[in-house]
Amino acid sequence: MGLVQRQIEAAGISTIALSMIPDLTWSVGVPRLAAIEHPFGLTLGRPGDRDAQTAVLRAVLRALKEMQSPGSVTNLPFAWPESGGKSPYHPAEPPPIGKYLVRHPWLYPRLLARNIPEVAE
Amino acid sequence: MTPQVDSYRFLDTLSRRMVKSWIGLDKPQDIPWTPLRKPLEDCTVALISTAGIALKTDRPFDQEGERRNPWWGDPSYRVIPREATERDVRVYHLHINPSFAEQDLNCVLPLGRLSELEADSEIGHVADSHYSFMGFILRPQVLLEETTPAIIRGLQTEQVDVAILVPV
Repeated sequence: MGLVQRQIEAAGISTIALSMIPDLTWSVGVPRLAAIEHPFGLTLGRPGDRDAQTAVLRAVLRALKEMQSPGSVTNLPFAWPESGGKSPYHPAEPPPIGKYLVRHPWLYPRLLARNIPEVAE
Repeated sequence: MTPQVDSYRFLDTLSRRMVKSWIGLDKPQDIPWTPLRKPLEDCTVALISTAGIALKTDRPFDQEGERRNPWWGDPSYRVIPREATERDVRVYHLHINPSFAEQDLNCVLPLGRLSELEADSEIGHVADSHYSFMGFILRPQVLLEETTPAIIRGLQTEQVDVAILVPV
């Protein structure tokens, strides 16, 4: 996503990422980054929580307006009270890559090195 | 001072190790920059989501392809019109729980909230078209060389000034 953002910015459109993994997004070199500590699938907030969703969107737009230099980061002040862990934030069916690496653990270093095979063994 | 966001709080063990490993792989490079050229109140704004959202009337993202070859991810994109709601879409990303977005699309693609900011004149216009593709594309060549340029052409055609990228 960070690489896509870079291309859009380079094409003359002002961009900002709302990222839940800001360390990773930042490492790619994105122009503007608003970091938020929300669970996956709930980037803006819970279903039906209009006020929270609006507050996040407003904060992103404010950050965009205020950022003056490439690589700017803002940590948004929205706390998520529950602890992490498995459900309900993870999919009911584990992602294909997770299941695959349980059966092919010797390929795990290739994922970590982002040395990705073209086809599955 | 706002505390720094913890990138790892909601990640499982595998993803945590993967993210930590990947962070070291990208060399620092020049960061592109397009300054905001006009007040937000005059800007046209588009949203881009990696949730793999498609209209129910549109072609589904290829989940089976990723299940057959977990190193692969569908690199195509779909256009989501500004009036779309959770009733009109399906969410195909295999790495998240899609049920929140399927209850309320604003959880990942806040078109409703953005329209309210337009009505309040906090932004100029909501773009007619918004975009979604699948997250977790491990080999991003097609995404970067075909999909992204096509999205950029769409943004430029609609004279979009601001794109908000929303990963999931």
